[in-house]
Amino acid sequence: MKRVLTYTVAAAASIFFLYPYLWMFVSSFRTTAAVLRDPLRCWPERFDMSGLASILQMGDLSLLRAMVNSLAIAGISTMLAVLATALGAYALTRRPRALAFRLLRYGFLMTMMYPYMLLVIPVYIVVYKLGLLGGYSGIVLFLAVGPIQFFLFEQLFRALPSEVIEAATIDGAGEAAILFRVVLPMARPVMATVTIITFLLNWAQWFPVLVISTDSDTWTLPVALLNVNGELGTNFQGIMALALVTTIPVALLFLVAQRK
Amino acid sequence: MQAVASATLASPPPLGEGGWGEGSQLLRAWRRETVFYLFATPFAALTIVFGLWPIVLSVMTSFTASATALKPVPIYVGFANYAAILRDPLFFSSLRLTLVYAALAVVANLGVALAYALLLDSPLLARGRSFFKLAMFLPVVTPDVAGYVVWRWLYDQSFGALTAFLHLVGMPAFGGVASPATAMLAVLIAELWLHAGFYAVIFLANLAVCERALEEAADIDGARPWQKLFYVVLPELRPAIVINLVYALIQFLKTFTVVVVMTKGGPSGATNFLSYYAYQFFDQARYGEATAMATVLFAIVLLAATGVCALGERGRV
Repeated sequence: MKRVLTYTVAAAASIFFLYPYLWMFVSSFRTTAAVLRDPLRCWPERFDMSGLASILQMGDLSLLRAMVNSLAIAGISTMLAVLATALGAYALTRRPRALAFRLLRYGFLMTMMYPYMLLVIPVYIVVYKLGLLGGYSGIVLFLAVGPIQFFLFEQLFRALPSEVIEAATIDGAGEAAILFRVVLPMARPVMATVTIITFLLNWAQWFPVLVISTDSDTWTLPVALLNVNGELGTNFQGIMALALVTTIPVALLFLVAQRK
Repeated sequence: MQAVASATLASPPPLGEGGWGEGSQLLRAWRRETVFYLFATPFAALTIVFGLWPIVLSVMTSFTASATALKPVPIYVGFANYAAILRDPLFFSSLRLTLVYAALAVVANLGVALAYALLLDSPLLARGRSFFKLAMFLPVVTPDVAGYVVWRWLYDQSFGALTAFLHLVGMPAFGGVASPATAMLAVLIAELWLHAGFYAVIFLANLAVCERALEEAADIDGARPWQKLFYVVLPELRPAIVINLVYALIQFLKTFTVVVVMTKGGPSGATNFLSYYAYQFFDQARYGEATAMATVLFAIVLLAATGVCALGERGRV
């Protein structure tokens, strides 16, 4: 009896979590008229592609360009973030008492506390002053720092047995050799996890992309979706199709990574 | 210091060779240290340029006249922007909304996350546990804009599946984001859908390292389920509760994306939270007032987060 109740609650919660995906998928392939007639249908009557067709070109921005932008911006900023944060966190954990590093750590924690959405307002001013407004580099560089990456790496490097580093030092290895030949190979599984998490987070980013862009050429999928959703004259099927296109890559990446 | 010590230990300087050998030892030790600064440089540069500089700039901008904020030499106006927002009744109603919403959202998210984590941790749920976990975590990795767009339409009076479903089972219609009375609740449910899984995972990680013997002892002593929850399980979950509380407070005090996608602050200001209100000022190029509001919100977040941290530290005996 208790078991039945437990499963019922878990199933109800799962429906709450998963139903929006089903509805998004089904609504992407049904005409607006069909959805208006029967919003609850759980499978399309027939696969209607007009929603997808309607978003192939959104104003000046093509769907292909938005996809390439998303992939390039999330990909490059992820590589930068993982590299810079891993090196930074390593230096900060190996020399925790150096004054410069202590200050840097406090400063980093401060930026974390600052409400992220409001940090983007002054970042606009900074990017403007650097002359990077409207380009890819401003977006990519802004997305290359993140708190979660730093904490995961810090945790990893703190747990590193000091004997390993001492042994390498006695063998006459320089610090660079210790990092690249000893520490980083040991850190590979965590590096992979951090890379996936960062990619998922940066794929979803929309506000910095919108603020730093000066036209739709540098927009990513979420920004395009936000724009289509805000347009007058509702293209419901197109909105659902674009939401689907935005969600599928990261959902698949997550499910595949979960398997391993 | 450590490197100097270990470098010296590794190859002690030959005695009596004089200053030159010692100097080269020092040089090598110095090079060992500088390499760490080299490692930290990219991280430091990014943190300073895209983190600290913007914060300083933001606080400085809050003291300048908006029209001159982007000029090379802005005109400083003292606390005029702060005085202006303190005279604005909409600022106070927005602040009150933000605090009420943050409180409700924190309680709802942590409550649901805790309940779901306990459910997933239950031995009664032997099969299918990984599926239920996956279902809960999928929204966390879904781009928030996409998730909120779908929820916006789920609530829609003519398209929405929710409206149709409530009609089907004979329940009263839910106003969703169209009615001022229900807009905040609608936003809260959508945010709960997206975020609860994250907090549940933190609870689950803590449950995994809990001392099971304590719960068994409570069972043997004949503790009622609620007694076990309040006197055994919750104290054990203290670290996760503190982490989640701090994180959720920061998260929901700055609620933004869901408002942009679903309500634009409406209807009739029912979801006009502070970060969105500040953003509207930014959008109208009123940078001074916008950054003054941002600074006030920053102070509130800092106060709330450090307050919870301090409480969490004090309770730890």
